[in-house]
Parts: sequence; C-alpha cells; structure tokens
Amino acid sequence: MAAHTPAGHQGMTNSMLGFILFLASEVMFFGGLFAAYFIARADAPAWPPESLLTPEQIADGVKLELEVVLPAISTGILVLSSVTMQWAVWQIQKGNQGGMLWGLFISLALGLIFLVAQLYDYTQLHFRADDTIFGTTFYTLTGFHGAHVAGGALFIAVVTVRALGGQFTAENHEAVEAASMYWHFVDVVWIALFTVLYIIG
Amino acid sequence: MATVAVPQLSGYRRPAVLEWITTVDHKRLGILYLYFTLFFFAVGGILALLVRTQLAVADNSFVGNDAYNQIFTMHASAMLFLFIIPVWAGFGNYLVPLQIGAADMAFPRINALSFWMLPPAGILMFAGFIVDGGAADGGWTAYSPLAQQTGVGMDMWIIAVIVLGMSSTIGAANFLVTMFRMRAPGMTMFRMPIFCWTMLVTALLQLLATPVLAAALVMLFIDRNYGGQFFDPNGGGNVVLWQNVFWFYSHPAVYIMILPGMGIVSEILPVFSRKPLFGYKAFVFATIGIGGLGFSVWAHHMFTTGSVLLPFFGFMTFMIGVPTGVKIFNWLGTLWGGSISFPTPMLFALGFVSMFLIGGINGTYSAAVPVDFALHDTYFVVAHIHYVLFGGSVFAVFGGLYYWFPKIWGRKLDDRLGKLQFVLMFVGFNVAFFPMHMLGLDGMPRRIAVYAESTGWEALNMLSTGGAFLIAVSMIPFLIAVVMAFMRPKDQPNDPWEGNTLEWATTSPPPDYNFDSLPPVRSERPLFDARHNGEGH
Amino acid sequence: MGRVPLPRRFRLFTALIASALLALLVTGTASAIQPGGITDEARKMNDLFWIVTIAGLVVFVLVAAALVYALFRYRRTNDELPPQFHGGGAIEMAMVGVPVLIVIGLFTISMITLVEIDDPAEDDALTIEVTGFQFSWQFAYDLSDLGTNTDPNAEGTIAVIGTPANDPVLYMPVDEPVEFKLISNDVIHSFYVRDFLYKLDLIPGRENKFTVTARELGDFQAQCAELCGTDHALMRFVVRVVERDEFDAWVADEAARQLGEGARVSTSGTQGD
Repeated sequence: MAAHTPAGHQGMTNSMLGFILFLASEVMFFGGLFAAYFIARADAPAWPPESLLTPEQIADGVKLELEVVLPAISTGILVLSSVTMQWAVWQIQKGNQGGMLWGLFISLALGLIFLVAQLYDYTQLHFRADDTIFGTTFYTLTGFHGAHVAGGALFIAVVTVRALGGQFTAENHEAVEAASMYWHFVDVVWIALFTVLYIIG
Repeated sequence: MATVAVPQLSGYRRPAVLEWITTVDHKRLGILYLYFTLFFFAVGGILALLVRTQLAVADNSFVGNDAYNQIFTMHASAMLFLFIIPVWAGFGNYLVPLQIGAADMAFPRINALSFWMLPPAGILMFAGFIVDGGAADGGWTAYSPLAQQTGVGMDMWIIAVIVLGMSSTIGAANFLVTMFRMRAPGMTMFRMPIFCWTMLVTALLQLLATPVLAAALVMLFIDRNYGGQFFDPNGGGNVVLWQNVFWFYSHPAVYIMILPGMGIVSEILPVFSRKPLFGYKAFVFATIGIGGLGFSVWAHHMFTTGSVLLPFFGFMTFMIGVPTGVKIFNWLGTLWGGSISFPTPMLFALGFVSMFLIGGINGTYSAAVPVDFALHDTYFVVAHIHYVLFGGSVFAVFGGLYYWFPKIWGRKLDDRLGKLQFVLMFVGFNVAFFPMHMLGLDGMPRRIAVYAESTGWEALNMLSTGGAFLIAVSMIPFLIAVVMAFMRPKDQPNDPWEGNTLEWATTSPPPDYNFDSLPPVRSERPLFDARHNGEGH
Repeated sequence: MGRVPLPRRFRLFTALIASALLALLVTGTASAIQPGGITDEARKMNDLFWIVTIAGLVVFVLVAAALVYALFRYRRTNDELPPQFHGGGAIEMAMVGVPVLIVIGLFTISMITLVEIDDPAEDDALTIEVTGFQFSWQFAYDLSDLGTNTDPNAEGTIAVIGTPANDPVLYMPVDEPVEFKLISNDVIHSFYVRDFLYKLDLIPGRENKFTVTARELGDFQAQCAELCGTDHALMRFVVRVVERDEFDAWVADEAARQLGEGARVSTSGTQGD
C-alpha cells in the first residue's frame, strides 16, 4: 500500500485524513441540531418561552431557567482538559512518555469531572425534555454533547492503556493525536453550546 | 456465529460462506453490496407492482388504505435507501480501487463494517410489516406530525435509516481517502476515471448531508418517544422544521442517487464511441457544481408550504439546470464524430441519456414556482422522479452490470437477451411513467390509495400499470442471461470491450491483490494509450 | 446493412421531424388534459406552464434530434479509429452559456408570474376559513366578512363540515376576489383545487392565505394533496362557483338552518376536539 502513497502526502496518514473527514460529518450532525435550536428561538415570542407552559406544568413547578455558575466552572474544566490533552501530544512528540501519561491522566480525570458535573446540573433543573421546545432542545443538545464527551473519554482511556503499555513513541503516536483532535472538537462544541444556551439564552 | 476459530494454515481454505462473511476484500464486498441491493431492488419492485395493481382501476379495494400507505412508503424506502444509494457503494467498492490502480480501499475493515450495517437495517425496516400497527406508512419523507401518529414500525424505520446513514457516511470517508491518497503513480486528479470523480463528489455529499438527516431522525425519534417538542407547535416547535432539515439532506441525496450513474454512462459512451469523453474537465466541474448547488435548493420541495423564500430557491433550482445541461452536451459531443457500436451496455447508457433528458426537462416545471403550485405533490412529480431515478439511475445500474459483468464474474451476459431486456424495459418504463405526467396535469395527487371513477384517471392508470408489469417482465431475460452466464466457464479476457481504464489491465476476475503490473498513466485513458501507443493525445 | 444509405442532410432532417412529431404528440395530449384554470391567477400560471413547455420541447427536439442523428450518422462501420477530439474552449463555453441563458430567461418569466399572482385581497373581500382535519374539511364563513353585500353588524359563522364518505361543498361567488385562510390542528394537509392550478398547505401552527378570483361557474373536484394518514385519498371536496345572488341565497339558507337552531358553529376547532 505504501508504494501507492505519493511522497508529497507523507505529512498526514490515511487514518488521520479519514478521521478528519469523520469529524466533518460530526460537525454537520451538530449543525443540524443547532439549526433546530435557532429556528425554535426565531419562532418563539420570548426566550425562554415561559408563555408556552400549560397551567399543569406551572403547577408542577416547571421553570424554564438555567443555572449558569456550575456550567461556567464546567466550561473551565473542559477547556483546561483540552490544554492538558494538547500538552500530552507535545510531550510524546518530544518522546517524553511520562509527560504524555500525566497529560492523558489529567485530561481523562477532568473529562469525567465534567460529565459528573453535568449530570448533577441536570438534577438541579426544574424542567424536563418534554417541557416545551426549550426543554427539548436543551436536553438534546447537551445530551448528545455529553454522549460525545463520554465517547471521547473512552477514547482517551484506551489511548492511556496503550500508553501504559509503552506503545507510543515520538515518531509513532497517531492515536494520541486523533484522541486529542476529537477532544478539541468536543470542547469546541461545548463552548458553542455554552455560549448559545447559557450566555445568550 | 457459534463457530470455533479456524486456524489459518497456508493452503487451507476456510468454508466459502465464512470466507464471504469475514472478507475485507473490496471486490468481494462490492459483490456483496450488489447482491444485497439487487435483492432489495426486487423487493421494492414487487411493492411497486402492488401499488400499480391497486391503482389500475378506480375505487379498487385490492389492498386497503392502511396497507397501501405502508406499501408505497416501503417501496420508496427500499428503492432509495436499500437499493440505489448502496448500489453505487457496490459499484464503487468493486471499481474505484481497480480504476485508480490500488490494491484495496484505504480502510478494508471499515469497508466491511459499512456493508455489514446494511442487512440488519434492511431487516429492521421490513420487520415493521410484522409488528403491531404495521410498517412505516408516512411516506419515505416521513413528514411530521403525521410521522408521530404511526406505530412502532415507524421507530424501526427511523433506526434503520440512521444505521444506513452511518454506513454511507463512513463508506464515504473511506472512498474519499482512497481516491485522495491511493491513486497509481501518474494518475493526477484530472486523470482519474470519470466514474471515480462522480463517486468522489457523491461521497462528499454523503459525508456532509447524511449526518443532517441523522440529526433530523434523532429529533423525530425524541418527539415520538420522549415527549420532545421539536415539531409540535403547541410546545413551541415548528412543523416545517422537519421539512427543512429532511430536504437539506434529501435533495443532495437525489444527486447521491444519480451522479455515479452519470459516471457509469460516461465510462460506457466513450468506449463504444471509440473517442474520449468530450469535455472531461467540464464534466468534472459540472459534477462538482451539481454537488455544490445541491445544498442550496432543498426548499424547492416546500414551495407550497407558504414558508420559504420562493425567488431564491426557484433561482438556485433553475441553476442546477446549467451543469445538467453541460453533461448532456458532454455526452452528445462524445458520440459526435465517433465510431459507435451498440452492445447492451451502450443501449442502457443511451437509454439513460434520453430518459435523463426528459427527467431534466420535466424538472424545470417545478423550478418555475407558479407552475410548481399546480404540479407539486401530483403524479407529475412522480413521473419526474422516476425519469431521473429509474430512467436515469436504474438504466445506469443495468448498463454498469452488463459492462462490468465480464470483469467481475469473468463471463459475459448474453447480448441478445440483454438487448431484449433493454427493449422491454425501455418500452415498459415509458408506458409506465409517461402517462403519469398527464395524470399529474389532470390533478391526480400522489400517495392516494383510491380515486373515483368520475375523475377520468382510470385509462391512464391502467396503461401505467401495464407498463409496470412490462418492466417486471423485462427482468426475465436478465435473469436467464445471468443463469446462462454462470453455467459457462470463466472465459473472458482482460479487456473484452477495448476499455479505457485500469480495471481492464488485470485479469477477469482480478486476483486478490488486483494487479501484477500497471501500465503507465499519462491520461484519463491509460488502456487506450497502451493499445494505441499514446496517439490521439 | 444492405440498404442504400440516405443522404446525410436528409437523415438529420428526418431525425428532427421525428423528434418534433413526438413532441407535438406530447403537447397535444398535454393540452387536451391540462386544465386552463378557472381563476385569473390560474390563467396566468397556465400561460407560464405553456412557456416552460415550449422551451422544454425546443430543447428536447434539438437534443433528441442531435442524438438520433449522431447514432445513425456515426455508426461503427470499420475498425478505423475516429479523430480523438477532447473538446475545446469555445464549444465548452457554449455548453455553459446556452443553459445559462435558457435558465435565466425561464426564471425571470416565472418570477414575473409569481409577483402577478401574489395579490393579497382587500380587507373587505370574502374570507373562507378552511380547516383540514383527518379526514375531511370544514369551510367556515364569518357572516360579517362575506365580501359584497356584507352586513357589518351580522354576527355568527356558518360552516360546512364534510366526512370521508360525504364530500363537503365549498360555495364561492364568481367574479370577485375570495380569500382562503388555511389552518390545521392535526397534521399537514394541502388544499388543492386542480382548476385553480394551485395548492397551498395547511400546517399546524401556521396560517396560510391565498386569494383567487374565479371566472367560471360550475362544480370542480378537489382534494387533499399532502399525505395525511389512512383515508388521505378520501379527503375530497367540491368547489362550487356560483353567481353572487345564488351565493347570498345559500348563505341565508344556511344561516337560518345553522344559527336559527342556536347551533353556533365554531370556526377554529376541528371535529373531535
């Protein structure tokens, strides 16, 4: 196979190119969900659309409010984990396996803290997915993002196990780079979500 | 599979079935794709015959209204999601690595995964017929809120389509990497065979559009099962949102369904005209243009919702006519001045050109917004889509099968039977679908299970049904030709047609590793160059 | 082939004639079937239909003739390789230019028609509120919004409600603009009257409107055009265009029958609500 790879392409392997294409399709998936959110907001007389709540829902204590402090801290945690992840990549590029391992461990831990914080945040909210388009879009967007964080954490965990086995070197550490790219993608999606749902909302 | 791991000793072949199930070879996967999709072509065809039988006479009660809605929904779902879209993945799998001179796809195991996602999805979708409430019956477009009223068959349909979408998305990434990175030495992008180019643009569309469909289906699933309000105006949702997101995928999907067919035709016409494709680069740019414009015309399916920007989408839809027109010129120019022979693949390719011409012209009616007000959701549109997807894509599928059968299976399909099939199919197709233009003009809406005798639609419907059965009959010579071919030994030379592209440089069928040696690639027709020592360039 | 070959020019001519005959056959059938439309708007749309048709037929005849001609003219007769022509700048420019011109022309004409038919009614025009439901229609008339002859002090509404087995009749007066207001509370339906050459969807959460002026008297079959469930095919109705006198008499009768009995008919609910 290598014989067929023209010399000019050695900057990036086939797997990395395939992975980037996969990420492009992920961007389009979230794009579809975001589009739904923006259309709903454009249609709504006010946001959050309190006026759409039925008397029963109000009686049940449904409130379309978001708590912003905890998610803001979560955002910091996730951004920090992106930094540590990138640090892990830089370490292994220099051949420093120990540094990479620390980077991976910290990133994984921060990712898990983010997930726990988000689940805790869910329990503090006074609305559910079936409480107007506000609830539906909120849980769909954050839920699919959360699933991607979980997927990314699993990816990092696998990479960490492989790193413990000493599988990566300065020349050969593609999986670390792929996991890092995926983690940055998840981070960027979250920053978009946080801006749209919590700050503008 | 409850089998023990079979030790892989040299000289020992595992059972054939196991070989096929575990294969990661692009050729075998391509063949599996072809078998799978042709099976669902037959299933979809049988459903089509049920539809046409029901509509043959006025006030018919052959199938009930409920069953009818399930039947036409599953006809379209089978034909689009389980036949046309994956059949190109089948041709692409077999041919793209061969045409670019590679030994396999970039990711053989992911390739196998792409294929093996199809059978469970197909079974899940069709299992809808045996569950309470029946199969999906909201049309393949699954417009909400109607799609929220139906039974669990609809959920099965949603999951099946998501799985099929994942298969085609990862397949698309695989094709793209393969074509970007694994071309033979000397094969620049602009020397790549035209079929590969159409697969490349198709793969880009799949990669970027299919996830949006997945997002739409996820929303529908949440609305149906978890009380979501995406499409419920009472909760602040928007009914038309579904249509916007659905067509954002499904209009590009129409090009996903036709572009590789155009590629096949553009491989066949030059070979049997003994000339290069006229305007190769123009064709490539037209293909890219169709792909790009495909993302900006989705709302032309929604002109009668009263909620879209009519001038913009009308204009963009007309603009699609430009690259389409360029392609018609490409094909005419290829034939012009050639030395044309008419074996079966060429007949199907010419059938494609002529039927696609009509499918292009009757498409402009819907681009002219005020005319679309009358014709939208009538049988005129049914005629249009079938001129494009049957007169276009299906003719290309059969053209491709006759053309590459010697390469794939080492045997030739009988030419007389092929011509008989072509004539029957061409006549049957036009008899079945041309009257639908008239029915549409006369006001017959699509997706109705019955019509009153007073409408006067009976005669044309009867004619159309006759045509549909003629199409079914046209499959008999094809099947006979296939059986006859398999009864003969593999006797085909490397290059039975005097082909242009690299797949003809190896044996028929090719060995596991595809090529012993590759001819030099100095144009988009390396085999032609090899035969004629490069003269003509 | 053993036949005397026809002169080349004659063959091209034959191909053209054959294609043109085919096209004429199609046009003839289409004109026999395509309704001309009974409203001002429909007649304009019908004109556009024919412009598109003629443009399409011209393209079809030229391309089909060229195709058929090429297939006969350039049959393979020997093993000699034909000139290997790849295409060139001028011809490729024409390949793009010709479709661009056709397309821009058709787009411009269709936009002109679109502006012409999009002509909202005056406030005092008759408004008919159409509600689609699974699986029939309700046509409601507000007695204070009946267009010509409206008594501004009239109160109440009258409505016609159909069933899948019993097609409702939509009464409308001839020669005056009538506004249709379309609503649905269940699923999407589409209000399609073949002889209006028009359809517009009824979408939950939206209110769509259009206005037409009918110019012909008579009964016109119509039905739902958007799949809406099991009995979608039975969601038929009749548009009855009558003289203003007859319309007024019908309204008076219905008002006496419906409102006289004290059964005030709601305009916004649907059956089963």
